[in-house]
Amino acid sequence: MTNHSVAAALLALTSGTVLLCAALALWRRAARGIVSALRVQGYALAATAAVLGVQLHEPLLLVTSGLLVAVKGVAIPMLFGRLVRLDPASSETDPVVNVPASLVAAVVLTLVAFVATRPIVESVRGVPITLVPFGFATVLIGFFVLVARRKAVSQMVGLLLVDNGIGLVALLLTTGVPLLIELGGTLDVLLVVVVLRVLVTRMHAQLGVLDLDSLQELRD
Amino acid sequence: MTALLVAVALSGFAGAVGGLLARARARVVVVAFFTIAASLAALTVALDVLRTGKVATLTTTQVLPFTGVQLRLDALGALFVAVTAVVATAVSIYSVGYSRHHPMSRSSACAFATFVTSMLLVPAAWSVTTFLFAWELMAVASLALVLTDYRRSADVRSAAIWYAVLTQIGATTIAFGLVVLAVKTGGQGFTTMALHSASMAPWLRGAVFLLALTGFASKAGVVPLHVWLPKAHAEAPSAVSALMSAAMVNLGIYGILRVGDTLLGGGPSWWWITVIMLGVGSAIYGSIHAATSTDLKRLLAYSTADNIGLVMIAIGTAGLLSSTGHQSFAALALFAGMFHLVNHAVFKGTLFLAAGSVQYATGTRDLDQLGGLFTRMPIASTIFAFGTVAITALPPLCGFVSEWLLLQSLLHGLSSSVSVSVVLMPLCVAALALTGGLTAAAFVKAFGVGFLGIARSPAAEGASEPPRLMNVGAGVLASLCVVLGVAPIAMVGLLNSVVRTIQTSGGSIVSSHGEALAISDAKGVFDPTLIALALVTSLLCVAGVRRVLSRRHAIRRAPAWGCGRELQTARMTYTATSFAEPLQRVFDDVLQPSQDLDVSHRGESRYFVESVRFGTRGGDAFERLLYQPVFSTVRRLANKARLLQNGSVHRYLAYGLGALVVILVFAR
Repeated sequence: MTNHSVAAALLALTSGTVLLCAALALWRRAARGIVSALRVQGYALAATAAVLGVQLHEPLLLVTSGLLVAVKGVAIPMLFGRLVRLDPASSETDPVVNVPASLVAAVVLTLVAFVATRPIVESVRGVPITLVPFGFATVLIGFFVLVARRKAVSQMVGLLLVDNGIGLVALLLTTGVPLLIELGGTLDVLLVVVVLRVLVTRMHAQLGVLDLDSLQELRD
Repeated sequence: MTALLVAVALSGFAGAVGGLLARARARVVVVAFFTIAASLAALTVALDVLRTGKVATLTTTQVLPFTGVQLRLDALGALFVAVTAVVATAVSIYSVGYSRHHPMSRSSACAFATFVTSMLLVPAAWSVTTFLFAWELMAVASLALVLTDYRRSADVRSAAIWYAVLTQIGATTIAFGLVVLAVKTGGQGFTTMALHSASMAPWLRGAVFLLALTGFASKAGVVPLHVWLPKAHAEAPSAVSALMSAAMVNLGIYGILRVGDTLLGGGPSWWWITVIMLGVGSAIYGSIHAATSTDLKRLLAYSTADNIGLVMIAIGTAGLLSSTGHQSFAALALFAGMFHLVNHAVFKGTLFLAAGSVQYATGTRDLDQLGGLFTRMPIASTIFAFGTVAITALPPLCGFVSEWLLLQSLLHGLSSSVSVSVVLMPLCVAALALTGGLTAAAFVKAFGVGFLGIARSPAAEGASEPPRLMNVGAGVLASLCVVLGVAPIAMVGLLNSVVRTIQTSGGSIVSSHGEALAISDAKGVFDPTLIALALVTSLLCVAGVRRVLSRRHAIRRAPAWGCGRELQTARMTYTATSFAEPLQRVFDDVLQPSQDLDVSHRGESRYFVESVRFGTRGGDAFERLLYQPVFSTVRRLANKARLLQNGSVHRYLAYGLGALVVILVFAR
């Protein structure tokens, strides 16, 4: 087994983990479980960057990997911690789309992602490129979480799933986004999470629930 | 002349700013001063243009960004400017008197000056952007003025919404038509558009004309786009109604002439047949409603639709005859139409201002509540009487002259041996006759029930003469009714130069022959002055005979409409409703009034009636049959649209996901 094929297998493993975590987030009902799926996904994303960095001898990618661990693996899940504690019993008891149907939808969305990315995959040879559909599927599933889940925490997780999916696609397509851009994007997401946390906390203070359906009234 | 055009705009602007800044007591004086200044400057320019035939131009890039302002006042525009200026001057004087007890608010003071100035500038605008700018300014300012009494009742607000919607639909179609024309002719200046419009495809020219016609007809209050007219005119303060009815509505006619004749250079006969049919419908429908209305200002508003219909008949006939090659008769029809438009402005201004005086003195405009005003407010009533005689086209006042000329032009059109006009002209003559009769009925009712007889309510009982300046303002217009009726030759030169801008080959169809009017191609002359003289002489004779006879017999005085009874109460006299009842019965299908009869019985017995209440309410058939279905359809569609937009975040997100998937799958 050459270094190359090991790297290819590792990349497939980490990217697959990113997609799997998205599916997990759809499967789990408890807020705590959903957040831990997000945390694992963050680590997997960081591992993808690290493998790419080692394979291509890009030290800057290792720095990116460290940044991802710090923000997506540690900081963001920590920020979620408080929200989860606000309402420990909070779980998706009555999602818009139930769990089995959601998983079927996730399968369909993954297929869509594979179909949609075929032109890209076929046009360029190389292991990282063939893994691009994983990123697309993660984006679509993240979007689906936004549509199909009611709780504020799930909504925020869905948004971050979309972001992670985009991050994965960017890593694989360009074999390493410039560090500056990665830094900007990641800090943006951190900021978004901070703002959303404030909003959700206020929502809890005002309405006593973390359910988006309570925001349904239209203003005239 | 250019300097005067600048003076119009500047003093109008000064009036608007002054109205905003001046203190409550001085406000109306400041606004009236600047408005009159602007009007007089505009009148000077307009009369100069009409007399000499030279145009006044002003082009500046300083005011509007990108396009600049282009003003060019030719004879056609000058006539409308002159009419607006005269009416605005009278109304300004009237407003000073009116505001003694109803102080003008800051916003209406500003809107008043803006409204008058924009009306003075619309006929002078010579590019699409300048025109639309002035037009929209006029619409917005007049809307603000309609809303003056918005606190009084919900009717005011509803009237304003009707007005806003119809005027904006009109502005949209006008803008659309003019933009298409500008794009196709490669320039937005009116000169360029007029030069190149002939090369456009006929269907496109027709489409542009229809778009413009729709928009301008909605401003002119032509049936079926008239629905705002009775509402807004009735609910706006009378000074504003007078301005709208005597000046603004005319600009709709101006627009039709400007686009149809100047910019598109005339068109096939179907354009003008459309205009004539709209005019006929408007004249008949308006006069039927005027004859049966019991609200004084609603009556006047419907009569505006009626008179504008007559003007539409005239300009339609002019276009039709011109497109079939009868230039001189076309010129006669146009002359009559423009003359009627001027006269309408004068007498309708008079009537609205006098109606405002009545409302000022009694607080009501319901004819059933009025009566006996002639003895209580003789000057205002006399002014109203002058307007009444003029509008019913009785000699020697002005309405007679123009309606007679209109009739002449229609009869001449009969002899033109074109099959279309042979069919259409008798129809128009019939419409004119029917309209004349109904108008007479309407104003016999308005004057006889409203001003003569016995006061029917305490409000009418306690009426007294309004402030002097109100009578002065209305009197200015009333005296013009006399001048235009007795000496129409004063207008011949001015109107001929208007006609020449449109019917270039028609020449001076009407010329002055001594103090009489002579129509070329027709034998004899028409001498309103002589008619007036004869009338006055015969009246003096009757008065003399009466005086001689009354010496021999004792005079017995009895109350009017008393039928010789000794005791007569207001309940025994004719009301406006009862006067109009036969007409309402005849035109039941058109009017579709809603009536309710409420009989209550005494005790158990059905045979002893305690009281009977009868109420009748005339809605507008077009409002019910044309507009309500549109509204309910829109409401139904809007409710359907709520399924898409129900406030659920998840649904909105699902739209996003769906769109993303669709794009990914289909746009690879």
